[in-house]
Amino acid sequence: MTARFAQGWLLPIALIATWQAVGSTVQNPRMPLPSKVVTAFLRMIADGDLPMAIAQSLSRVFMGFMVAASIAIPLGLAMGHVRAIERNVDPLVESFRPVAAIAILPLAILWFGTGTGAAVLIVAYAAFFPIIINTVAGAKRINPTLLQAAATMGLTRMRTIRTVVVPAALPSIGVGLRIGMGVAWTAIVAAELAVGAKAGGGGSGGIGQMMFVFYAYSIELNRIIVCMIGVGIVALLLDRLIRWALRAAMPWTAR
Amino acid sequence: MRTTRTRSVLIYLRTMALFLAAWALAAWWKDKPVLLPSPLAAIEAFVELAGGMELFEHAGISLARLLLSLALASALAIPLGLAMGLRPTLDRVVDPTVELLRPISGIAWIPLALFIFGIGNALPVFIMTYAAFFPILLGTIAAVRTVDARLVDAARTMGVPRRGIVTHVVMPAALPSLLVALRLGVASAWTAVVAAELIGAPSGLGYAIEWYRELLMTPQVMAFIAMIGILGYLCDRAVRELSVALTPWAPESAASR
Repeated sequence: MTARFAQGWLLPIALIATWQAVGSTVQNPRMPLPSKVVTAFLRMIADGDLPMAIAQSLSRVFMGFMVAASIAIPLGLAMGHVRAIERNVDPLVESFRPVAAIAILPLAILWFGTGTGAAVLIVAYAAFFPIIINTVAGAKRINPTLLQAAATMGLTRMRTIRTVVVPAALPSIGVGLRIGMGVAWTAIVAAELAVGAKAGGGGSGGIGQMMFVFYAYSIELNRIIVCMIGVGIVALLLDRLIRWALRAAMPWTAR
Repeated sequence: MRTTRTRSVLIYLRTMALFLAAWALAAWWKDKPVLLPSPLAAIEAFVELAGGMELFEHAGISLARLLLSLALASALAIPLGLAMGLRPTLDRVVDPTVELLRPISGIAWIPLALFIFGIGNALPVFIMTYAAFFPILLGTIAAVRTVDARLVDAARTMGVPRRGIVTHVVMPAALPSLLVALRLGVASAWTAVVAAELIGAPSGLGYAIEWYRELLMTPQVMAFIAMIGILGYLCDRAVRELSVALTPWAPESAASR
């Protein structure tokens, strides 16, 4: 077991060691080195810059995610349950789905300025499609016998949705939420980067903008790498958090 | 069959007509053409940009970058994925590194890549290759693992050399899932191209959108956004058609959605 565990760490350690060794020979004070990245990381946590930026990005992600989920889940359930609604709404969903979320950033900036509004719109747009598609799929996959049983027992349509369709679709909705969260986190970094790059330095904040400032104004590669690691860690933690929450909410789906 | 098809086309047109009508109404109500131009103005801009070839020039550049980075990502990820899927030891050594890098989205590499490559072609290609690499790699590994072990054993019994097993047994069996992975890679790269071009390229669709936003020419911005959607759809469709053509035996369900 420990031998297998060690095997996995061999390559990352070797890569980092090579980076440190080769990087040390480069005669340029800007050359990023693992040792410098670690000191930069500690310093940025100590002075609160990194946690602050991440917190700001996360609050936008949650806002946009909530907007997306609160539209996509009811609409997806309706589409999955009622064929006529799906037929009529699906063209709209399928027409907008191939448009990358970042592509509407210029419009979002026009409408909401460079602050939180534009970022929330991008996140909501990005997270909307995985959630709705998985909700529709979940609501459609339901066992028809259950629906027939509900109809036999004279359940109203709303009651059928609440007591039969929603529980059956929950695991699939959960998958949609998890994918949506991943996409949302990628989108916020992109949105903040682009806002930082195109609308001047100030104003927007968040980890994406912080990275761009380190690139464009102070040229601190070590700090850019710290931000990248931060982006990765948050992505991992968000995914774990959602997995854990879904398992706790739906113990029967645990694999 | 024919009638249901016509019917779904009609429903599609009706939905889109309603959407355009709602948009037109909102534009008329708001009465601020810079913020929300009418759909007519956007369509006009689209036709004009298409007529002047500008639309196709930028689209061609973005597509060429997409194809190049897909080729690069496949050339790196498919052999590595095959090797990792076939050799558990290699998988144990490489997988943790992949899992350490994967959460860092391609877009998060943009500032560092800007510093390394500068503004130009290399930056979007690098970002897109990175973005497409992980879905293709993970898909290939998963595809190899789903190959029926009895087929491999049978080939080995008949004395097929290792290389032959990979090309004649593993590859064909894994191909349907591999094409699904390629589809995910295309989607991932296409999302990244816009972000990469928006920030760090002197051409391409992402660049064009930003250019017209700065000029406050919103109808043109919308025309380019529509083009991104159309091409995104066509790329996805192309990979789906490719998987139907290459793997006609695979169930449609594997190829669709």
